[in-house]
Amino acid sequence: MRHYEIVFLVHPDQSEQVPAMIDRYKATISEGKGVIHRLEDWGRRQLAYPINKIHKAHYVLMNVECGQDVMDELTNAFKFNDAVIRNLVIRRDEAITEESILSKNKDRDERRAAERNTNTENDTQDDAEEDTAEETEE
Amino acid sequence: MSRFYRRRKYCKFTAEGIDYIDYKDLDTLKAYVTETGKIVPSRITGTKAKYQRQLSTAIKQARYLALIPYTDSHQ
Repeated sequence: MRHYEIVFLVHPDQSEQVPAMIDRYKATISEGKGVIHRLEDWGRRQLAYPINKIHKAHYVLMNVECGQDVMDELTNAFKFNDAVIRNLVIRRDEAITEESILSKNKDRDERRAAERNTNTENDTQDDAEEDTAEETEE
Repeated sequence: MSRFYRRRKYCKFTAEGIDYIDYKDLDTLKAYVTETGKIVPSRITGTKAKYQRQLSTAIKQARYLALIPYTDSHQ
């Protein structure tokens, strides 16, 4: 059994199908006695260049340990699924389980965006809440 | 004699003891491509040959996945 890293891009219009697709791939992997070490959904990302006149795509990353037959099945599934616009399979030497840099960055961006939103909300509420907050602190 | 002092080139990957250059690490990869999207030669950056090979595969993988552009004149 070898370790593989799989990334595939799904057409943004078929984004809702992604969880179902992941479940299907999980099923094929577990049927072949493979193990999924890492599964990340990067969500819809802007493409660096348009592919088939599409500017966004849904990215999914999987780190998998499986045999050749399962890998063949998966690549075949990618090939004949019209929703998958691109896929990349890389052989890795060991199981990778920690969160990837890209998803970390995505989380950071989201957190920042959330902070920004809460800050703007707080600004309006601050004046009203300030008096009560000071009282409770004491 | 006009001799300019040039900052000494060094290999960032050797200095940090990295053993695998990840195609997902876009900030690192972007430091080694030009504005037009070309890979910067190691004779300019000072990257060691071992890491330059890894870097070029990582950049090419990132390009294939549309994480970084092939060129600045897409579409």
